[in-house]
Amino acid sequence: MVEIKDKKEKKETPRPVIAVGDGAAIPSKEDVGLFTAWRFSFIGAIAIVAYLVIFSPDPYWRILKFLPDGILVTFQVTTASIVLDLIIGLFTGLGRISKNRILSGIASLYVEIIRGIPLLVQLFYIYFALGRIINVPAMASAIIAMAVCYGAYMGEIFRAGIESVSSGQMEAARSLGMTSSQAMRHVILPQAIKTILPPIGNEFVALLKDSSLVSILAVSDLLRRGREFAAESFNYFETYTMVALVYLIITLFLSKLISIMEDRVGANR
Amino acid sequence: MPTDNNSVMVEMREVYKYFGQLKALDNVSLDVLDGEKLVLIGPSGSGKSTLLRSINQLEKIDHGHIIVDGIDISDPETDINKVREEIGMVFQSFNVFPHKTVLENINLAQVVVRKRSKKEAAEISRELLNKVGIIEKANEYPDKLSGGQQQRVAIARALAMKPKIMLFDEPTSALDPEMIGEVLDVMTKLAKEGITMIVVTHEMGFAREVADRVIFMDYGAIIEEGTPEHFFKNPIQERTKLFLNQIL
Ligand SMILES: Nc1ncnc2c1ncn2[C@@H]1O[C@H](COP(=O)(O)OP(=O)(O)OP(=O)(O)O)[C@@H](O)[C@H]1O
Ligand SMILES: [Mg+2]
Repeated sequence: MVEIKDKKEKKETPRPVIAVGDGAAIPSKEDVGLFTAWRFSFIGAIAIVAYLVIFSPDPYWRILKFLPDGILVTFQVTTASIVLDLIIGLFTGLGRISKNRILSGIASLYVEIIRGIPLLVQLFYIYFALGRIINVPAMASAIIAMAVCYGAYMGEIFRAGIESVSSGQMEAARSLGMTSSQAMRHVILPQAIKTILPPIGNEFVALLKDSSLVSILAVSDLLRRGREFAAESFNYFETYTMVALVYLIITLFLSKLISIMEDRVGANR
Repeated sequence: MPTDNNSVMVEMREVYKYFGQLKALDNVSLDVLDGEKLVLIGPSGSGKSTLLRSINQLEKIDHGHIIVDGIDISDPETDINKVREEIGMVFQSFNVFPHKTVLENINLAQVVVRKRSKKEAAEISRELLNKVGIIEKANEYPDKLSGGQQQRVAIARALAMKPKIMLFDEPTSALDPEMIGEVLDVMTKLAKEGITMIVVTHEMGFAREVADRVIFMDYGAIIEEGTPEHFFKNPIQERTKLFLNQIL
């Protein structure tokens, strides 16, 4: 799922790039076809929403007014999980490359187990397992569950990113008397981050989409708000049309934002 | 020149190092005196890098002892980071930190390891950049520098720790011919300052000018040692003669 390949860049020497299989495609300017596809779908989606709301305000305008609370929750879940996910991912990645057998064993076990169980099943499991041990709000368990599930993939991204930095860098740092954690912090991770950033962007978008799964866990996210509206009004088709369009607009917008951020980071090292 | 007290800076006793079945160091015993300039030569794969790297424990030896400035680094109780602070190393592939400017490259370990203030570190760095002749590149990133300049940054970075020993592993092998001179000049200048230097190089001109002693290795063992003159005029071992014929 995670692999490193050389991305050809015209001006600079080729830098290894981690490509993650799933997640939204993030457009870049070199990728002209995708760039216009992005524009087409983004503008198209907004146009359709505008058309529906203006020409058929009942039920579309009512649906759209009902959704913002859910959008907010979706963002909260996504942002909180990605932060937690980055922490879990960093430690999993470091664990995977650790020379300590126990640490690397635990990290590998975690990655294997998580990868082998469907996300929805994991969500249910962690949610209800947490519920048994401690009494945490639904939202918090959902966030923890998402972060634990995604942490395994994030760990692989970190591992690949760290391994993309040449071993000479670590040797140079160690030969100056740095401990391995000092070398990690000051030399390896700052270089790995450039390779890690694009797939993290991908993961963020993928996580936002998958966060819709938490709607089954009594968390009032975008999808759940839609379901609530549909159940009351029986406008199933209309509601899910709106929900899908809103997800699409958010996802496309985020993808663009991330690709702009990546350009920035690439430009001023 | 070795300093007059002639104390031993690096002592290797019956050192063996294996990579799987392969014997990379085969019963190596060696004393390097304080202030001595030692040049290591030998064919590819003869264990020169392994010997050098075992002195700062980038390679862990399997048998024997290595004592650096009185500290036995093969003792598991030894804090290897403390020992490494005293041993500068320069690599064939430079290994400058690409995400840091030239000045930051040299500051980093001074601040992080030696716990100097940023100001003090920067002063030392500038002084060293003057010494290696690239002060004007202080705020550049390494990818804007030539190989020779990058290697001089790497030397300054190692010197900033004020090490007692400098290890050089083929510091000019990755350089275009026109840049070899500038790096060797820096090393020659450094050699005059009394620091202990162990240099893997096939630049025999440098060896002749700087080395107190030359060691020829093959198959992980020390085959022959002597002054540069000895190697130029009357090497004894057949393998040494063969090798010297190839590189001279
Ligand atoms: N990390 C390693 N794993 C396995 N074998 C290794 C490793 N490092 C070195 N070797 C082997 O050990 C032997 C000695 O290698 P070493 O790098 O010390 O030779 P060298 O004299 O420095 O050669 P060169 O002139 O090519 O740099 C070689 O046969 C090499 O293939
Ligand atoms: Mg070598």
